Amino acid sequence: MSSVPRGRFRAVLALAWLALLGVGGWLLSGHLRLEEDLRRFLPTPRTPAQVLLVDELGEGPGARLLLLALSGASPEALAARSQALRAALADRPEIALAANGGDAGLDAVPAHLLPYRYLLSPTLDEHALDADYLRAELEQRLQDLGSPAAALVEPLLPSDPTLETLRVAEAWQPARAPQRLHGVWFDRAGAQALLLVQTRAPGFDSAGQQAAVAAIHDAFGASAAAVPESAGARLELSGPGAFAVAIRERTEREMRWIGTADTLGLLLLLALAYRRWSMPLLGALPLASGGLAGLGAVALAFDGVHGITVAFGFTLIGVAQDYPIHFFSHLRPGLDPRQAVRALWPTLATGVAATCIAYATFLFSGVQGLQQLAVFTIAGLGVAAACTRWLLPRLTMPARRDPAHSVRLARLWQGVARLPRPRRSLLLLAAVALAVVLLAPQPFWQNDLSRLTPVPPADLQRDARLRAELGAPDVRYVLAVHGADTEQALRASERLLPVLRRLQGEGVLEGYDLAARYLPSAATQQRRQARLPDEAALRAALARALEGSPFRGDAFEPFVADVAAARAAAPLALADLAGTPLELGVAGLLLERAGGSTALVSLSGLQDPDALAAAVAPLGARLLDLKQASESLVAQWRARLLGALAAAVLLLAATVWLALRSPRRVLRVLAPMALGTLLILAVLRGCGVELNLFHLVALILVAGLGLDYALFFDHAGDDRDQQLRTLHAVIVCSLTTALVFSLLALSAIPVLRAIGSTVALGVVFNFALALLVARAPAQEASP
Amino acid sequence: MDAAWIVQAVARPAPSRTAFVELRSSPMLRQPLRLEGEYRREADGRLVRQVHAPYAETTTLEDGQATVERAGRAPRRIALARAPELAAVRNGFGALLAGDAERLQQHYTLHAEGGRQRWTLALVPRDPRLAASLARIVLHGRGAELRCVESRPVKGEPQRTLLAGAAAEAAGVTDATALAALCRGDAAR
Repeated sequence: MSSVPRGRFRAVLALAWLALLGVGGWLLSGHLRLEEDLRRFLPTPRTPAQVLLVDELGEGPGARLLLLALSGASPEALAARSQALRAALADRPEIALAANGGDAGLDAVPAHLLPYRYLLSPTLDEHALDADYLRAELEQRLQDLGSPAAALVEPLLPSDPTLETLRVAEAWQPARAPQRLHGVWFDRAGAQALLLVQTRAPGFDSAGQQAAVAAIHDAFGASAAAVPESAGARLELSGPGAFAVAIRERTEREMRWIGTADTLGLLLLLALAYRRWSMPLLGALPLASGGLAGLGAVALAFDGVHGITVAFGFTLIGVAQDYPIHFFSHLRPGLDPRQAVRALWPTLATGVAATCIAYATFLFSGVQGLQQLAVFTIAGLGVAAACTRWLLPRLTMPARRDPAHSVRLARLWQGVARLPRPRRSLLLLAAVALAVVLLAPQPFWQNDLSRLTPVPPADLQRDARLRAELGAPDVRYVLAVHGADTEQALRASERLLPVLRRLQGEGVLEGYDLAARYLPSAATQQRRQARLPDEAALRAALARALEGSPFRGDAFEPFVADVAAARAAAPLALADLAGTPLELGVAGLLLERAGGSTALVSLSGLQDPDALAAAVAPLGARLLDLKQASESLVAQWRARLLGALAAAVLLLAATVWLALRSPRRVLRVLAPMALGTLLILAVLRGCGVELNLFHLVALILVAGLGLDYALFFDHAGDDRDQQLRTLHAVIVCSLTTALVFSLLALSAIPVLRAIGSTVALGVVFNFALALLVARAPAQEASP
Repeated sequence: MDAAWIVQAVARPAPSRTAFVELRSSPMLRQPLRLEGEYRREADGRLVRQVHAPYAETTTLEDGQATVERAGRAPRRIALARAPELAAVRNGFGALLAGDAERLQQHYTLHAEGGRQRWTLALVPRDPRLAASLARIVLHGRGAELRCVESRPVKGEPQRTLLAGAAAEAAGVTDATALAALCRGDAAR
């Protein structure tokens, strides 16, 4: 074939490949459902706290709450701004509920719940609607009529002379509401107006939280126009959602500059190594194809792709970036690229097969997150290898120079060849490393997920302060009490009330909130109903109360009718709250499941968890520690991963054995990888690092890289030119990998730092060890 | 007639006190409720409305909030932002007693009529929330004496508070028409 049609064929093929990638990317972006739901990534929960955590992860009363503080203007202006902000937030779809203390008025009770007021208010627990009580109440109403605020109360009186509506509205206020100034919540110093916002998106949905946070900033900006005197006011936001958004933005910002620096560095390195502009671009194609294939495979096999699968997956298939480099370094003038790749293929295929077989063990881990990871990496690596084998050679122009003819490389290899082939010293090194790994004083594993995405201490302090001011619930502890159905759960939670009140008095906790505060159990409602007088008795009591009163005898007919309606009403049920401002609050505290219902008691200012747990245990309630539950889930997840890895190591060794069929060669290939892993662990542990899942994922990647380095050195045998080309390939591979990951290691974000430092260390160790151990001895003849 | 002159004339240095008689009518009541008591302006700027008969009640209006104390009950605090009617008392009557023309102008537009010997000053609320329920407050006076505050709601009967000389003349008068005449100053003819 002449070179012109050949060039045209290459261009057409390259364009076709790019078009395929584009179509694939477009299809995926349209159909891929990226899940943020951590539940899919975690193992099956076992303990009640784990079940609750996984069921309600991020949906609990604490996790979707944002705390807002307005400051920097006069209290009157801040109060007016607070009202304007609340009104603006009430119209936003991202916001389920916004409270600023300004709604304690009579209109806080939805109209269709008004007939239930005698069943919802605790009044009837203490008083009967008899003549004495009514007379005392009417005396108060007369004084209300004589006050300057008469116009507020007067319309209500005919139907509600005991102002039960107001009492219900007051009872629904947050359990430990902050002080009110100018009608809205303020902190104790009176300098900050406070608001509580409940997002519609669950806490784990960081995109939803981001939208909610943006909506709040929008509404805050827009409300400035309505209250010009508050123009200088500042908005502070706190709470789990706000933290998640801040960390997400910080991570994205860091990833942006690291990504840009990496791309430039990578292009430069490859262009320098191969002196051809097309190489960096061609070199990116297998990895891009692999990534798309991985995503596509997961999208086909599962309902949605988890965000963590994507993050871990792209880290793990990073090894595929080396495939084209090995190929490029083995090109030489006069050799058809297809021949070059054919010679390389058995080694490359061994590496890919061994890695893929190892990842296949994840399929049997029983954790969907790991299964997704396995499908992603196997499909990704397989496609990337196939692209390198069958597509890339048809695109690549024959080389103009042979790395084996590089003088500098030759000098370097001579130096390497003179190095001793260490045996005993490596054993000693391994023993020392093992000792460091085992003897380092800090705990081996870091289970606390929050330590991976740390919140700045100043923000944590502000959160604690706002949480205390607002009496917002604790995000770590929650009381749970189970019932066969919702009614039983509500009753069980009501039985906790005397104990909770006592403990509150003793200072064990500062406040609590439960669904029964808004929706008493049907039993309680029926008890109150039974205390409502029948019409004749009520009329008689009212007549006696009205004797000698300035009120007209027939002024309270609507009241008589309302009490009769309340006596006959079916108790208010959870479904009746649908569409009211109470719905979300109650739903967060009352979980209805197939096997029964759980009533939650959210806690604030908990001082002594053990005392609380002991006090409520006899009543069947359990104090759940969600932090401990999440840590135990992480530990469980890791145990499954480690189990899968143990099997993976055996399978990988077996695959290499099958391919090489010589104990010495198998040992030469596997030893650098094993020792490299041990050395990374020793350095990390020696530096006082507690290992987490991200270290583990990075270690798996490093093992895959090390395996490839060793396999290629082994493959080069004793042919000097092949050895030089392999050296060239492995140098370029390790330089590119070290470049990408050492930038990550510089990040301030622990997740990125964990991955970056582990891989960067691993590349250095594996490169050195592969060179020392896996290169074929000069005197040994090739088989 | 000049509103500024009236505001200056009726101002009293704090602390000051003025007796009042108030009639409150409601369709729920057999007859209007007649209250007797006094308004006090304290040296620290608080305005106190103390009812002596037919029951005892003290309402203290201060910056941002009102406190209502009744016999045998815990004091109740109400934010003025949530009770525009209470805020109106503070920013109208309270500002007038303090001679605070600026605060008065800030919350109401003022319309004065009559002569120095017998004048009326109408306060029309600027706040649309308040204006929705309160059409205007009409003050009746003679010279430096503010004699009656007439509150005219958008819906319903005017409510009248007789002060100072008018309150004294109202002693023993129970007839609503006679009291309305006293408020307007007709009885003085």
